[in-house]
Amino acid sequence: VAAMLKCVMSGSQVKVFGKAVQALSRISDELWLDPSKKGLALRCVNSSRSAYGCVLFSPVFFQHYQWSALVKMSENELDTTLNLKCKLGMKIKRTHNICFQESQPLQVIFDKNVCTNTLMIQPRLLADAIVLFTSSQEEVTLAVTPLNFCLKSSNEESMDLSNAVYSEMFVGSDEFDFFQIGMDTEITFCFKELKGILTFSEATHAPISIYFDFPGKPLALSIDDMLVEANFILATLADESSRASSPQSLCLSQKRKRSDLIKKKAGKNITGQALECISRKAAPRRLYPKETLTNISAVENCGSPAMKRANGDISEVSENSVSNTEEVPGSLCLRKFSCMFFGAVSSDQQEHFNHPFDSLARASDSEEDMNNVCRKEFNGSDAKYFCII
Amino acid sequence: MRFRAKIVDGACLNHFTRISNMIAKLAKTCTLRISPDKLNFILCDKLANGGVSMWCELEQENFFNEFQMEGVSAENNEIYLELTSENLSRALKTAQNARALKIKLTNKHFPCLTVSVELLSMSSSSRIVTHDIPIKVIPRKLWKDLQEPVVPDPDVSIYLPVLKTMKSVVEKMKNISNHLVIEANLDGELNLKIETELVCVTTHFKDLGNPPLASESTHQDRNMEHMAEVHIDIRKLLQFLAGQQVNPTKALCMHRICRSGKKTLLFRVETNETSKVSSVLGDETIFL
Repeated sequence: VAAMLKCVMSGSQVKVFGKAVQALSRISDELWLDPSKKGLALRCVNSSRSAYGCVLFSPVFFQHYQWSALVKMSENELDTTLNLKCKLGMKIKRTHNICFQESQPLQVIFDKNVCTNTLMIQPRLLADAIVLFTSSQEEVTLAVTPLNFCLKSSNEESMDLSNAVYSEMFVGSDEFDFFQIGMDTEITFCFKELKGILTFSEATHAPISIYFDFPGKPLALSIDDMLVEANFILATLADESSRASSPQSLCLSQKRKRSDLIKKKAGKNITGQALECISRKAAPRRLYPKETLTNISAVENCGSPAMKRANGDISEVSENSVSNTEEVPGSLCLRKFSCMFFGAVSSDQQEHFNHPFDSLARASDSEEDMNNVCRKEFNGSDAKYFCII
Repeated sequence: MRFRAKIVDGACLNHFTRISNMIAKLAKTCTLRISPDKLNFILCDKLANGGVSMWCELEQENFFNEFQMEGVSAENNEIYLELTSENLSRALKTAQNARALKIKLTNKHFPCLTVSVELLSMSSSSRIVTHDIPIKVIPRKLWKDLQEPVVPDPDVSIYLPVLKTMKSVVEKMKNISNHLVIEANLDGELNLKIETELVCVTTHFKDLGNPPLASESTHQDRNMEHMAEVHIDIRKLLQFLAGQQVNPTKALCMHRICRSGKKTLLFRVETNETSKVSSVLGDETIFL
């Protein structure tokens, strides 16, 4: 049993597709390809799980989009290559074979519609803001009031390095296509990903919507031009003072009880472990299914039975968690970025972990002369891919 | 110490930005000297000459429509600051299409030169961009090393050919040798020479004209055609020429040999009498 994907793009479509891949590559070296009847979704998450990107290309974006699940194929036809074929000019045809591996699907939970603060800007404004800062600038702070918007160098950094220039730009609310601020807020996030998002938005010519709340809660940047829908979710720096009172990390399994239990555990050791997997400054790791399990189990070691329960019923939790996000108790981050927990959505988790490379179909035959062809064969099995955004 | 200044004219801002870009290309760190009438950018080349290698002077009233300063003290009404050149040029880069640019000395968490720009935008409200550039105040005891380089009683002083031409000639010569000999006389002749084992190339410029010399007496017995020569590092000359983005109204070169035998070459470029850039290059004869 295998699924099949075949897409064809024209030159200008490839440009947009390419810029999406470029933007995502700033977040991570690894990319999830996730086809469905809704279209082809490209997703990635960085190693410290503080940045996530998802670009969904609807079927009508492509010249040709063909996707089907459950196509019967024989057992001995296994292949792990993704074929990218390019036709350049009239006579040159280029084929790229890219290896892929079956992996756990990626999912993040973030409901941008409940965010207190929403802005919509033209890419031009973001471009003007980005030139203020040097490429060595790590973090920037966005400060808003109901009347204006300010993007500035993150305070922490400019105080550490006495040679660093502090820059800020104030923009009046009338420069925004949409400006709705529920409360005065200052959030700090990573600057690096912004540039990739900007290049992609310039390729689509669509405005950028920004959704955010309070420090610690992730910020979402969305671009939607009817054919392509992109969402980039970046973790923000948790404020020390607001830490206790507000929900911060996008934990997949979130039950009030679990956090209470963690809090009650005495000593720094346990919290240290929990912090390990949610610290932004974690060393980069390759994302294998096992890693996800390690992360969850690290928290599991805190001894919460509620956590274990949650693992088994993730699909249930996730459906409810949208409304529960507000109630989730504070993370234990101390001046660290919150991160988003990711986990598999498949109910057949066990199967995946044992045989991660199992179900890969062979490449189909015959290459027609297409302009640009993107083809992937894989076994979707029972994994459910969905992204509540 | 206080300093506040404002530029509202687009052309002035442009000129100021170009000078800042030139400085940023020449050296990582520069000194900014603020006095009641002038603004100076000073570069020191401690390794080569131990003195000022480039001196740039701006007549304040030609750039700023508001300019207020208060120096270190009443007797020493000047301010000397050290900053990273690129920080200023980058801040000014964001000031294109500005309605107004303000520069002032501030002390936020540490002493800064704050560049504040009011930008025109599509909507009715302006955008305000602010950059706080960290600076170091230079103590008075070091000021003596930062004075304008002068060539008293030069032996030869000559107007330079069109800098663009000179630059392209010197650029080509750089491919052959790092060492350039500049010869000039009081008859309006300037030669640029390079010599290697295999080849010797000379470019001759004639009828350049010589600026009037200060003291007439010393030149009565002087042979007008006698060439004074100085050996210099070609790359240093190129740096100076490359930095000249503005078309100067006057460019000249002065040469002097002091009694000790030390030779100094001074290049000076003036633009409309609003700005003046002087570059000093020392003799670098290699004895084989």
